[in-house]
Amino acid sequence: MSGWERVRTSSSSSSRSPHGMGSNAFRELPNRIPSSRTIQLGRVQPQAPGHRTVFCNDRDANLPVRFKGNSISTTKYNVFTFLPKALFEQFRRVANLYFLTISILSTTPISPVSPITNVAPLSLVLLISLMKEAFEDSKRFQNDLAVNNNLIDVLQDQKWVSMPWKRVQVGDVIRVKQDGFFPADLLCLASTNPDGVCYIETSNLDGETNLKIRKALEKTWDYLTPEKASEFKGEVQCEQPNNSLYTFTGNLIFQKQTLPLSPNQLLLRGCSLRNTEYVVGVVIFTGQETKVMMNTMNVPSKRSTLERKLDKLILALFATLFVMCLLGAIGSGIFVSNKYFYLRPNAGDEGSGQFNPGNRLLVITLTMFTLITLYSSIIPISLYVSIEMIKFIQCTQFINKDLRMYHSETNTPALARTSNLNEELGQVEYIFSDKTGTLTRNLMEFFKCSIGGEIYGNGITEIERGLAERNGIKIQENRSANVVQEKGFNFDDARLMRGAWRNEPNPDSCKEFFRCLAICHTVLPEGDESPEKIRYQAASPDEAALVIAAKNFGFFFYRRTPTSIYVRESHVEKMGKIQDVSYEILNVLEFNSTRKRQSVVCRHPDGRLVLYCKGADSVIYERLADGYNDIKKVTRNHLERFGSSGLRTLCLAYKELPPDLYESWNEKFIHAKSSLRDREKKLDEVAELVENGLVLIGCTAIEDKLQEGVPTTIETLQRAGIKIWVLTGDKVETAINIAYACNLINNEMKQFVISSETDVIREAEERGDQVEIAHVIKEEVKRELKNCLEEAQSCLSSLSGPKLALVIDGKCLMYALDPSLRVMLLNLSLNCHAVVCCRVSPLQKAQVTSLVKKGARKITLSIGDGANDVSMIQAAHVGVGISGLEGMQAVMASDFAIAQFRYLADLLLVHGRWSYLRICKVVTYFFYKNLTFTLIQFWFTFQTGFSGQRFYDDWFQSLYNVIFTALPVIMVGLFDKDVSASLSVKYPELYMEGIRNVFFKWRVVAIWAFFSVYQSLILYYFVSTASLTAKNSAGLTFGVWDVSTLAFTCVVITVNLRFLMICNSITKWHIISVGGSILSWFIFAFIYCAIIGKGNTYFVIYDLMSTIYFYLSIIFVPVVALFGDFVYQGIQRWFFPYDYQIVQETHRHEVEGTSRARLLEIENQLTPAEARSYAISQLPREISKHTGFAFDSPGYESFFASQLGVYAPQKAWDVARRASAKTKPKVHRKNDS
Amino acid sequence: MASSGSGSAGSADAATARKHTKRPKYSKFTQQELPACKPILTPRAVISSFLIVSVFFIPIGVACLLASNDVVEIIDRYDSDCIPENFKNNKVGYIQSSIDKTCNRTLNVTKHMKSPIYVYYELDNFYQNHRRYVKSRNDDQLRDPKKGDSTEFCKPEDLSGGRAIVPCGLIAWSLFNDTYSFSRENNMLAVNKKGISWKSDREHKFGKDVFPKNFQNSSLIGGARLNESIPLSEQEDLIVWMRTAALPTFRKLYGRIEVDLNAGDQIHVTLKNYYNTYSFNGKKMLVLSTTTWLGGKNNFLGIAYLSVGGLCFFLAMAFTIIYFIKPRQLGDPSYLSWNRSPGGQ
Repeated sequence: MSGWERVRTSSSSSSRSPHGMGSNAFRELPNRIPSSRTIQLGRVQPQAPGHRTVFCNDRDANLPVRFKGNSISTTKYNVFTFLPKALFEQFRRVANLYFLTISILSTTPISPVSPITNVAPLSLVLLISLMKEAFEDSKRFQNDLAVNNNLIDVLQDQKWVSMPWKRVQVGDVIRVKQDGFFPADLLCLASTNPDGVCYIETSNLDGETNLKIRKALEKTWDYLTPEKASEFKGEVQCEQPNNSLYTFTGNLIFQKQTLPLSPNQLLLRGCSLRNTEYVVGVVIFTGQETKVMMNTMNVPSKRSTLERKLDKLILALFATLFVMCLLGAIGSGIFVSNKYFYLRPNAGDEGSGQFNPGNRLLVITLTMFTLITLYSSIIPISLYVSIEMIKFIQCTQFINKDLRMYHSETNTPALARTSNLNEELGQVEYIFSDKTGTLTRNLMEFFKCSIGGEIYGNGITEIERGLAERNGIKIQENRSANVVQEKGFNFDDARLMRGAWRNEPNPDSCKEFFRCLAICHTVLPEGDESPEKIRYQAASPDEAALVIAAKNFGFFFYRRTPTSIYVRESHVEKMGKIQDVSYEILNVLEFNSTRKRQSVVCRHPDGRLVLYCKGADSVIYERLADGYNDIKKVTRNHLERFGSSGLRTLCLAYKELPPDLYESWNEKFIHAKSSLRDREKKLDEVAELVENGLVLIGCTAIEDKLQEGVPTTIETLQRAGIKIWVLTGDKVETAINIAYACNLINNEMKQFVISSETDVIREAEERGDQVEIAHVIKEEVKRELKNCLEEAQSCLSSLSGPKLALVIDGKCLMYALDPSLRVMLLNLSLNCHAVVCCRVSPLQKAQVTSLVKKGARKITLSIGDGANDVSMIQAAHVGVGISGLEGMQAVMASDFAIAQFRYLADLLLVHGRWSYLRICKVVTYFFYKNLTFTLIQFWFTFQTGFSGQRFYDDWFQSLYNVIFTALPVIMVGLFDKDVSASLSVKYPELYMEGIRNVFFKWRVVAIWAFFSVYQSLILYYFVSTASLTAKNSAGLTFGVWDVSTLAFTCVVITVNLRFLMICNSITKWHIISVGGSILSWFIFAFIYCAIIGKGNTYFVIYDLMSTIYFYLSIIFVPVVALFGDFVYQGIQRWFFPYDYQIVQETHRHEVEGTSRARLLEIENQLTPAEARSYAISQLPREISKHTGFAFDSPGYESFFASQLGVYAPQKAWDVARRASAKTKPKVHRKNDS
Repeated sequence: MASSGSGSAGSADAATARKHTKRPKYSKFTQQELPACKPILTPRAVISSFLIVSVFFIPIGVACLLASNDVVEIIDRYDSDCIPENFKNNKVGYIQSSIDKTCNRTLNVTKHMKSPIYVYYELDNFYQNHRRYVKSRNDDQLRDPKKGDSTEFCKPEDLSGGRAIVPCGLIAWSLFNDTYSFSRENNMLAVNKKGISWKSDREHKFGKDVFPKNFQNSSLIGGARLNESIPLSEQEDLIVWMRTAALPTFRKLYGRIEVDLNAGDQIHVTLKNYYNTYSFNGKKMLVLSTTTWLGGKNNFLGIAYLSVGGLCFFLAMAFTIIYFIKPRQLGDPSYLSWNRSPGGQ
């Protein structure tokens, strides 16, 4: 901090020569030392952690500090680190490490198999994994390369020189042209637009597509041409690189003046320039130090529950392996004997130790190792890599490319950001949903208002309609024909329209009301200054809605200059008279989440000073002047009515300011405004001084529309056995109503409401003792919870009890989450069909999520769209972000991003369910095929004197997993479908099979294991028993390799045919892969036996195939081996069918008709309607974060979060507001004058 | 985020807005609508597959059984009978002694045996598939005269007096050395020992110009000796022996008798009972057998086919009966779990 003081007081050293690019730097260096830089005798002192100093336009001066270059690298590896690092990553997997150990073991003489058996599959698996890593990294590298080599104009020798981004350095002056991207974080110096203004688009940063305004300091406006710009010599002192996108503090020391800098002058990398010919800026942060790069967050990798269970399965396999080896080893200890003279067990040569009966313990130990290498194939080495591959394709090809989840209006397809969690989507039992932006559309329409105690607006909200329908009332809507319909305005009341308000009982209130709407905001008008063509750039849609409303009421706000707002007022005095009025804006007291209000001080043309204020009812009511109790009470009633209709309300108030009072206050304000430390806090404090004694005018009600298809989706998901919790910052009443509107709660349900709005708590709160309040609330919550729980249990115990719903508010939740009450809360909420938590902070959202995740061990999914949902999204098993409209924070933290809430049905019921089903099949099938394969080996061990003789040829064994049975299992992982997508949604109940984890229980594994044992016995004993007698008409008998090759052939055929039995749908790819696998075995055998293996298996396959016995075996063995499975499947389906099987049967004659029909309409070309909606979506729009004006207040949330010590990320709209507020020049001018 | 952000910034494609659409391209693959057949294991399908299996298996089984029954097989276990009375308690001592091991056996032919009649010896409890045994050979040495010195894997039978043994290893060393000669009514029956091994072994695994060297030279003699003037490719007993058996009980071809034997014939066998199976209580048997298209006598295959075919037929019948008694309507929604127990859970 002391550094800052020094920074501010130090004189600038801007007296350097204007052409200081080159050799004169050294000469100048000493000059600068005593100034703000702390360099001592050429030795670079590390910069104070507080700030960095950048010398503009002077590369040599910046040299000693060694700022980082502007090239970025997002790659994980480079050429040299790739192999060690990537291999290290691979061997962190237990299975790979295990196989490495086995491979090493198999090079020793105790191994029965040649190293190739284990090395080949391992290296293949590693190769695939490494190739994938390399591929991904090379893509990143190429990306980086492309980015780093973009060209940008850099000022050199009074000329703009084009040079790649990577060569841009801190302090360079550069020029960015229209639609160009900023190569680094820049300080805006000058713009071709008047007033040094430029427009930027930040969609890469936060997803917001509306234009933001950045504005250069007035002093630097002139440095636009290269000649002029090269004269620019300034020193920027600013904060060190950090990842806060919306803050920036610094000073520009320039012409011996210290000018404060704000985010308003900062052009961030990743943004692009719009509507501006070009801007000139100084590079402040480069490369990895830019804010956008510092923001690159590593999504914490989540593992799916199924995968964790898979680990247990692998562990069980290890245990099985151990038992098998132990049995074999003990057997060998017993078997070894000198009587088998032909084995020469005591010959004393190396390797005979293992068979020397003289030391049976040694025999057992060595055989143990031998058998471990022999049975290593029980661990399916290619399992993980196959699953990874399958999931990767599922994500990139199926989820990301699903047309059903493509939202054409926002041009947003679904996006799987991680491929780890596909099957987790099929098992979700709890959904935690944010409300605003997720369930609701965040499309704000001015709907109703209350002015001077009178309600205006005839509209009926969807919630009211739903309520009426639930009560059996049919509502006829008769809208007047000449109603004004406009985006953001859905108001119908003739009493206010077309100047009719003058005849209302309180026309003055109306006038102030409309003025307040037209003046008190931070909206920017754009385009033609006519009511029809004007577009408003607002930081939040409800702010735009209010201005649009004012326009429709005859107070058309059409121009904003830094000092004034121009409003075209009609019908002020006389009908038909239109008057352009300019209001001088003296101060803007900005909105933020703690203030929850916004004020504007303006000077009317007649010289009156008026403060207009709008904000949340709670904050406004606190600051109202005494008296006017009637109107306060009536308006309070209206507020509640609006609230219960699901409308967002906002109170409007004003206050006349005496000039002398204003002047004294304004000084404080200016002082606060120019302070460098805690500027925001000081501003808030100053604002507090003037925002009191307000006069209430009325309130507005804005409708927050539901997202498309929300009620049906929620119903579908509920039928799927998923419990949906809505976590919102809304008021209890609003939340309940939204819940009704969404179909989440209905009248058949029993509602438990635990609210802090009870008399007992209110009384305690009035007394104001914090400790007492806490105590009272806790007791109250405890009592309520207990009551509810008892009632719930009695409801549940009765057979046809009603479904339950719980509504709890944030304050109570805070106490209910206390460890002592947590269990009760959990028990209660788990019994509830729907839970609504209102008034919750982001932290509480996360707490509730982890309560269910950890406490109930259920699989949870969080869905949200805003920064306040990030913690919740990260806390849940699966995080889903709503992409498209809102900011990107939620999406960046999420695992899956979809454009609409309704796509959740597709994501879960179709993709999730299929993925779950497929992965289950893949895993169990892998388990089965390796177990069967290894068990045959195990049975053979018993007949070889437990010597650990291998049954299969080395190459056969090593290729079994990677070639002969590799492909089909991937097919099932990609293509298996039990029922079609449309049926999955039509029968959401099918999803419950996933929730119950029907397909990957230990029981399922046990059944597979049982049949695996059965099959291996059949395979082994049939093939081997018959080996005694001659096998062809020439009287020749089989040797061990003939028998093993025959057995291997049978295994390959059986296992591949078994695969066909698990398929619900068989595409040509199934056939090709199965046929190909079997064929590949034969082809391999033909080649291998004839050419490569001159050893044991030489010519074996040909000898085998010359016997009839071979053919009789390969027909018989697979049939008998699969006989058991077949009978089991038949009986299971016949007598204990799964739900999906019934659905399959019900629709067995249907071709996938619905989807086919849909196919035809979906073409690759856009339909005209889509093209239009797309074109509209491309226009600059008023899309942004929801504001905290009304009850869904992020301020409330961050308040809680800050109390609990959690950092609440700052919202983008704060910046937008700051950006669009035009008070700065004014301040400067005042300073100057 | 940053990488993708600046990535798209970098590519900054000037493509038209139309091209800029992120709408996924339609393909049957990505929309998971590949045409597929959806086999449903209906009761009818179950029954018909059982029937099909039985229809195919029963005839095959019958054919196999018939073929197997055509085979005439004479088995004679001689290991215990060929021990003189005074050595009954010291069989190992007998076999290791240098007493004359000739033993005479008489076989009765009960059924006409058509030539060729295959002569096998059958050993029991002999672990030719033991790991130490199986690997104790060197294929290079057997095949290639130039590699006569490679005795890798052959320990402890690799060298004799410092010189490489050909053929080396335990398998060759323990070569079976009982011999049989047959006579019928004092007429010798010639035993043809040519072509008793797999052609692939004879022609590719055992060299034409590889001759035995230093074989059975050490003090410990495991089995038969080899004539050092005959190349390995013609030492068919060795070739047969070295195709190690899969199980501890195995038969190996000794030779062929190329005349018919008539029912009622008495065959005199003069055998030399040299081979030591007494150490490990192994049995030795002499087998004379004819073959059919299927090979030797093997009822197992036929019985297996028949019984599985029969079982399938039985199951088909059983399921049919169940199908009629307790039919399950396909796709009956009342089977759906949420319909069975209202209220879902």
